[in-house]
Amino acid sequence: MTKKKHINIYKAAKRTTFYIFVTGVIIAMLLPLYFIVSLSFLSTREAYRYPLPLLPALNTKFELAHGERGYLLSVYDRVAGEYQSVLDTADLEKMSVYMKSQLGTIPITIEEIEQQIAKLETQEVVHFTRRRNLLYNYQVFFRVAGTGQAIPALLRSLEIAAMTILISLSIGGMAGYAFARYMFKGRDALKFSVLFVRMFPGVSIALPMVIILANMGFYDEPIGLSLVYSVGSIALTVWITASIFMGIPVSLEEAAQVFGATKLQTFFRITLPLALPGLAACAMYAFLGAWNETVAAIILTVFKPTFSVIVYQTVLGAVGQVNLAAAGGMAMALPAIIFTFFLRRYINQMWGGMTV
Amino acid sequence: MGEKAVPYLLVLPVVLYYGAFWLRPVIVSVMGGFTDASGHFTLQNFVMVFNEENFMPAVRNTAVIVVFSVTLEFLGALALALLINRKFVGSGFFLFLSMIPMALPAAAAGAMWVTGLTAHGWINSLLYYLGFLAEGKKIYWLAGSQASLLALLIVIDAWQVIPSVMIILLAGLQNIPEETKEAGYVFGGNYLTVLRKITLPMLKPTIQTAVILRLISAIQIWLIVVLLLGFSRLPVLVERVVFYTKEVRGLDISYQMASGYTIIVSLIVSLVALAYLQVSGAFKRDKEQTV
Repeated sequence: MTKKKHINIYKAAKRTTFYIFVTGVIIAMLLPLYFIVSLSFLSTREAYRYPLPLLPALNTKFELAHGERGYLLSVYDRVAGEYQSVLDTADLEKMSVYMKSQLGTIPITIEEIEQQIAKLETQEVVHFTRRRNLLYNYQVFFRVAGTGQAIPALLRSLEIAAMTILISLSIGGMAGYAFARYMFKGRDALKFSVLFVRMFPGVSIALPMVIILANMGFYDEPIGLSLVYSVGSIALTVWITASIFMGIPVSLEEAAQVFGATKLQTFFRITLPLALPGLAACAMYAFLGAWNETVAAIILTVFKPTFSVIVYQTVLGAVGQVNLAAAGGMAMALPAIIFTFFLRRYINQMWGGMTV
Repeated sequence: MGEKAVPYLLVLPVVLYYGAFWLRPVIVSVMGGFTDASGHFTLQNFVMVFNEENFMPAVRNTAVIVVFSVTLEFLGALALALLINRKFVGSGFFLFLSMIPMALPAAAAGAMWVTGLTAHGWINSLLYYLGFLAEGKKIYWLAGSQASLLALLIVIDAWQVIPSVMIILLAGLQNIPEETKEAGYVFGGNYLTVLRKITLPMLKPTIQTAVILRLISAIQIWLIVVLLLGFSRLPVLVERVVFYTKEVRGLDISYQMASGYTIIVSLIVSLVALAYLQVSGAFKRDKEQTV
């Protein structure tokens, strides 16, 4: 009896330690992400406070009093824990703009400010609270970044990713099937050459591609970039699909053929449906590769930049706008994370069967 | 004839595609490495590269990053994978969370570390809240010596890479039948002997995959370096290629330098990858499998 209890306690302690360990790992992985998400919601004023507030504020508290040049606007500073004066002006329009752009409150009209000022006749100071527009940084990023190019660039990046998936899955999938099902001369050499393709720096391919694409009329066009991105993702697709098709028993295909199906029918009716999860994982890699790529996009675009180029430029020029850079970075990370979420099971399966 | 041609027909599109969009630019780029501005054969480009003041630092920095980051990432990921290798409540979600650092776009990751590592950034803020930094004190992360910057880059790279290597290793571990390990214990092995004699040897193909992919991309590290430190501050090999193609474009010499560096980088990557595959026995194993 006591022995059994002893074992239970030991087991429980072991399990608790394990979960504490896993939680620790999760915190280490997600902490940097937490901060950039939080930063992307901070107002411009708070983004430059030190230490940074740990949570974005939902409301901003104001204090209004008579000032030397007009009205003295103070704002409650969460880091210092007190009201700090930020503006002394008679220009109510300026005050309204300041509240919106520097503090990220939802727009406040001049009439509303006048209403608050009216209270100053009876009291020394007026306190009031405004809700914040949490998405303000994102709105500004999409309006301002790349001089209004952000949204067209976003759509263009999606278009490029879709074409990359199509090209690499169709061309790479075919070769992957050949590797899995046939013995042929040069098979090994080809398999390793698929790896070698990744050994030549992407930058160095992009530069000669300027001329090659220009000759084809694809320079500064989305299709041009998809052609470049497919080089990397075809290599991976061949590799992954080969292992997927190997995992599908040949006996299934043979059975179908016994019942009179042709080779092509067998492939489309039996093999392809079974391989779909793995192909989805390949599609995800192709998407991430195309969506995330920056260098070739910088070299191969002029007037039609991709979204990654816009974000890269915002980050590089972010000296004055860390919260904008954070918002841009997050706007870019979100589709990648969502895509990963939907395909997480397949990636996991896929790695199991993939070896050099 | 018919049946025999099928695999070749299936592989043909890849071969053609690589001919047009990989081999052709590679040839142009390699030829660029061996020609001067007027199109004549020369080895002068490499002399110029070797004589550039940033060449030796670039080689050294790249080597340090590759050796330390691949070792650290592999050992860290292996330790994590061995500790986590079991089904537990929420393990699926845990794996998804581990995929996020890998899925994060380079520009977004850059934004994250740039905003974190400035003196008033979130890393110092966090250290302050945790009580590690006294009030008014700040650590100037990006103003340190070369050695500390390299250490910083290795840690940042490890954050992004360890979870994904861990996923690969976990998948490999789950393919090892439980019985083989149990047999090891039955014959009197302790945890370490079973790990050394059974688990690791059976995991070898997975380890090879993970390490070779890491080696290839670790040698080509550059974007995070530039986003954090700008060009020429901490030269690495591919950063030099981008520097000469993007930053000082238009000069004859810059194209020659970029081509020279390109060839050197590709040569290093291929040699390292081949050496690793040879030493780890991947070639031999592949032959055994196909027989």
